[in-house]
Amino acid sequence: MATRLLAAALLIGMMAGPGLAADPARAPTVKSPAPPGPPKVTVTLLGETASIEPGASFWVGIRQRIAPGWHTYWTNPGDSGEPPTVDWALPPGWAAGPLVFPQPERMPVGPLMSYGYTDEVVLLTRLTAPAGRPNGGPVTLRGHVAWLVCEKICIPEEADVTLTLPVAAGKPAPGAGAAAIEQARRAVPSPSPWPASLRATPETVTVSVAAPGLQPDRIAEVVFFPGRWGVIDHAAPQEVTIAPDGIALRAARGLLPEDPSADLDGVLVIRERLDQGLVSSAFAITASVGGGPGPSLTMIAAIGLALAGGLILNLMPCVLPVLSIKALAMVAHGDSSPGIARRHGLAYTAGVLVCFAALAGALLALRAGGAQIGWGFQLQSPLVVTVLAYVLFTLALGLSGLLVIGGRFTGVGQGLTARPGYAGSFFTGALATVAATPCTAPFMGAAVGYALTQPPAVALSVFEALGLGLALPFLALSLVPAWRRLVPRPGPWMARLSQAFAFPLYASVAWLVWVVSRQAGPDGVALVLLGLLLIAFGAWLRHVAHRAAPRWRRAATGVALASAAVAIALAPLAAAGPPATATPGAPAGAAWEPFSPARLAELRGQGKPVFVNFTAAWCITCLVNERVALRSPAVAETFARHGVVYLKADWTSRSGEIASVLGSFGRSGVPLYVVYPARAGRATMPEPRVLPQILSEGAIIEAFDKETL
Amino acid sequence: MSAELIGRRSFLARTGTGLVLAGGASSLLSARPAWAAVAKVGEAAPGFTVNATNGSPVSLASYKGKLVVLEWTNHDCPYVRKHYDTGNMQSLQREAARQGVVWLTVISSSEGTQGYVTPTQADELTTSRKAAPTAVLLDTKGVAGKLYGATNTPHMYVVDKAGMLVYAGAIDDRPTSRRADVQGANNYVRAALDAVAAGQPVKTPVTRAYGCTVKYS
Repeated sequence: MATRLLAAALLIGMMAGPGLAADPARAPTVKSPAPPGPPKVTVTLLGETASIEPGASFWVGIRQRIAPGWHTYWTNPGDSGEPPTVDWALPPGWAAGPLVFPQPERMPVGPLMSYGYTDEVVLLTRLTAPAGRPNGGPVTLRGHVAWLVCEKICIPEEADVTLTLPVAAGKPAPGAGAAAIEQARRAVPSPSPWPASLRATPETVTVSVAAPGLQPDRIAEVVFFPGRWGVIDHAAPQEVTIAPDGIALRAARGLLPEDPSADLDGVLVIRERLDQGLVSSAFAITASVGGGPGPSLTMIAAIGLALAGGLILNLMPCVLPVLSIKALAMVAHGDSSPGIARRHGLAYTAGVLVCFAALAGALLALRAGGAQIGWGFQLQSPLVVTVLAYVLFTLALGLSGLLVIGGRFTGVGQGLTARPGYAGSFFTGALATVAATPCTAPFMGAAVGYALTQPPAVALSVFEALGLGLALPFLALSLVPAWRRLVPRPGPWMARLSQAFAFPLYASVAWLVWVVSRQAGPDGVALVLLGLLLIAFGAWLRHVAHRAAPRWRRAATGVALASAAVAIALAPLAAAGPPATATPGAPAGAAWEPFSPARLAELRGQGKPVFVNFTAAWCITCLVNERVALRSPAVAETFARHGVVYLKADWTSRSGEIASVLGSFGRSGVPLYVVYPARAGRATMPEPRVLPQILSEGAIIEAFDKETL
Repeated sequence: MSAELIGRRSFLARTGTGLVLAGGASSLLSARPAWAAVAKVGEAAPGFTVNATNGSPVSLASYKGKLVVLEWTNHDCPYVRKHYDTGNMQSLQREAARQGVVWLTVISSSEGTQGYVTPTQADELTTSRKAAPTAVLLDTKGVAGKLYGATNTPHMYVVDKAGMLVYAGAIDDRPTSRRADVQGANNYVRAALDAVAAGQPVKTPVTRAYGCTVKYS
């Protein structure tokens, strides 16, 4: 009985079991994505004006308020993402321009880079109303905006935006969104005042912006945002070099295999150090694809070209004078044994090769460190140019007979000496190299250009080939005894020839002084000439004391060396002055007068309102302010209406006068904008007002309108 | 400011070395991001071995002699869903299978990120979406992804029979997540497969892949 009950229970249990176990059909383990919550971005359509003037254009802004941690995208979203789009549904007759994007931010996402916006951004569009009033009632402007917003995941969102405005004749008052739109317009990249170009090598792309006269120590950061994908690797670091002639940015190439053929639009953002911190300015640049690098050379071809270039370099004006020293040495040693002649030739070649290796090594090391410099870089420093001028001048004095430097250094003995003077040949070789660098012979350009894009070993071999070419004529003469018979025998003519050869050297010195004038201005020239004078004086002292008693000779040598030391000490001071910078093209807009404290006092005495703009050619924020705010017709009209006199204080070449006026406002730099209101009916002169360093049209107009209530 | 200071500063500014800003100390530049620098169209497609959903390792080299399509995917990404929900990806996979093309779907999402699936879940997705890849590879460590420089989902690559990479980039020329844009789009993968089959060079071998970023670890 119990067993039967047990069996029945088991049976029932077994039958009911599957039912009781509540085993549902296998649910999928992949959850469908959670339904989207509230949108991450709220969009609103803002209007610049409070009403619509028929036939006029005005700005509207699509403001995206983005949830914290999320971002939307720029017109080129970068490595991933999608830019926002808007489809307008406007009444007939209306026209809408394209979306205008403010300056984007860089948003690294792991190893990738996107360009876009966080927090809040206003995308602008220019709308044009049709002329004539169709029915006089308010007009509703509608747009359908679609965008992608991402954090770790991406959500495409869309929304409709509307703006209803009345139609009214006459100039409209500012609308509710005017302030936001003005701020957005300020953030839109301004058209670049500088031309830009693009150069691509197989591995890198360089964008060069010809912005002369910028001061590297004022600039904290330069970033380039390319306008389209594939040309530049978005995530790669951009190597920036600021040279006297402009900015160069070098970055790794993007993924498109072919060289860029169309001009590359993009945005260049420069962060500048002002008194009140860092200010960003954005410029819309179009980098035109310059003449490409041409068919690339092979290493053998480059070496061949370098050799030829070196040979031709012998004939260049900067090398020829130095070679004249060598020529004289050759003549002086014309009678010596072939062995000695050969060794002289080899010493000379060694001097050339070692010096080329040192220069090339320094160039490659600096370029590897990021500097964008080319061959001849050492002559971009006025200090080096000055020292070179001194050295050449000293040698010229030697050739003129004023200075006997000694057979040790020039190999030009007073007669045939037993001393070989190999060191002299070596240093002549080194000197020829240093003097040769500024002259670019034909063929050299292509070879050097090739060398600089190659790994160091290849680059060095090309430069050594160049050196070999330079040394070749004399090396050949020294190695081949037969040719030496062509060299005339030494005689009295040597003295006259050496004096004649001094003049090409003096010409080189004159040229170097001209270079210093370009680099360091008239003050630099004065200092270099003073240095040369001191050297000449020292040389004369030595010459005069040459046959005097040893005591006098030593004294004269001492004074001569002292003069030389003073001359050398002057060299860095000669490098002090700022170069003459070309001021950018004259701005249009309100007419201005140059500032002077006297003129300001005069105008204040007359009770006139004055606006003073302290600016400089190398100040980027000043440039942007001028373009965005000062050149606008609204500001010109305001100035005209109030009779404002516009004074411009140009601090490009620093002046103590302007510096002290800046100091009186507690500033040490530009830009500075000061409004001196009109006297009007007041008892005392009203105090001057300082406007913000980031200037807007509204601020200027308001400053003057407010004062004349 | 004394004259000396001006001299020194201007001297530094004036010397030909210029001022090195951002990235000066960084490594030498290469043509591609350093993390993914191997796959280049026109060169041999890099080999890899990744486990498929059934646990066995799948190696690209084993498919030499066949056309291979690599599809980087993330099932939750709106851009991937655009192609799967409309059946576009599946029909492309079937078309490819008919031509004897090997289709490898690769998931490089790391654990805990969007798109990451276990092998079972991956197989479920294949069934529920009626997809027809030859295999689904779980590249959780992102090795294959970084080798190819896969940046977005969907990111498509086509490897020809000799093992050369002939196409890398987007699936088509409409970089949106709108389903309506599938119709009428120029499908680059189909074009690449057709070109290779006809023995001709691929017309647009490199395009910008659109979609969500690949969620590497």
